[in-house]
Amino acid sequence: MSFLLPKLTSKKEVDQAIKGTAEKVLVLRFGRDEDPVCLQLDDILSKTSSDLGKMATIYLVDVDQTPVYTQYFDISYIPSTVFFFNGQHMKVDYGSPDHTKFVGSFKTKQDFIDLIEVIYRGAMRGKLIVQSPIDPHNIPKYDLLYQDI
Amino acid sequence: MLGLSSLKPRLPQVEAARKAVRAAQVERYGPQHDRRCWCLCCAREVRRHLSHGNVTVLHGGLLEHLASPEHKKATNRFWWENKAEARMKDKFLISPQDYARFKKSMVRALDSYEEKEDEVIKEMAAQIRAVENSRQEMVQAALEPQAVPDPEEGSSMHTSWEESHRQASSSSQQPLALGLPPIPELDWMEAGQALTFINHQEIPGVGNIHSGATPPWMVQDEEQGSGDQPIGPSYEEFLKQSK
Repeated sequence: MSFLLPKLTSKKEVDQAIKGTAEKVLVLRFGRDEDPVCLQLDDILSKTSSDLGKMATIYLVDVDQTPVYTQYFDISYIPSTVFFFNGQHMKVDYGSPDHTKFVGSFKTKQDFIDLIEVIYRGAMRGKLIVQSPIDPHNIPKYDLLYQDI
Repeated sequence: MLGLSSLKPRLPQVEAARKAVRAAQVERYGPQHDRRCWCLCCAREVRRHLSHGNVTVLHGGLLEHLASPEHKKATNRFWWENKAEARMKDKFLISPQDYARFKKSMVRALDSYEEKEDEVIKEMAAQIRAVENSRQEMVQAALEPQAVPDPEEGSSMHTSWEESHRQASSSSQQPLALGLPPIPELDWMEAGQALTFINHQEIPGVGNIHSGATPPWMVQDEEQGSGDQPIGPSYEEFLKQSK
């Protein structure tokens, strides 16, 4: 069973989501609705959102409408997914160079579910960074571009 | 003729070793190279292959043993005691000339093995260089100002960050574990995902998460007029609650 995920279209709405989501993992997918990889990821997110209802809240954020956040999170590739818990940004070590966000889509729904569980459990114990349970082979590879260096 | 029946299974091993006299084979060391075989005449176990470092010369151990003088003596005695067929006896002996020939071919095999290993390493280096080049090209393409803003022009991932990781910590990696070059490991990701690149403008002075700037949600907006009002319920709401 899948249903449409709620969308955030302004900085204010994103602020409210971050400050207002309590005791659940907040998942913000930064991307564009028409982008093919975003579609893939959105499909996984919507199909798992009801099962994860007790642990996570998921929103889709359009990168073109929230430039402040796009710049703050240094989003160069879409989709990029950022996790929060109780207003705190949660970092995850995926084995990739950037721990602040997940770049690309998940290979399976189970990968996403496992990741949410790990983030939830870590956050409940007061951690701000957790180790990803996903097999490194399933993590999308991308290149970090260093501008002006 | 009890001796003969137990000699029969030994024969193929010796024959294989004999073939190695002409064309010695060198392989990378593996646990199977520690196996030993039983020499009936000397009544003891003999190491079948000869290993040194991480290479192994096949049948080296057995040949060495078969050429040794004490094995010759033991074989003669065995044949005398068990009255085995004299023709068979020669098959189980290696003459010193044969052994010398084996040593020569062994040296040759070792050299060619080393050459092959070097070639493999060179190939891998060339591959890494090619990948690095394509990576540089991609960086150039991305940094060039785009005349026609086309965000759909995604840049596909050519390389994996693993490669830069490996270069950074090469000492801790196993020397010949580069059996698989980085490219095939991308498998489903390479084919399925060409991630769209967003070129967001870097506003100098305003940092981002990596530089430790204030998060946007913590920044006080001008629109927040709620700070003027006192916190808490209004008087009417308080009365409602107390009823």
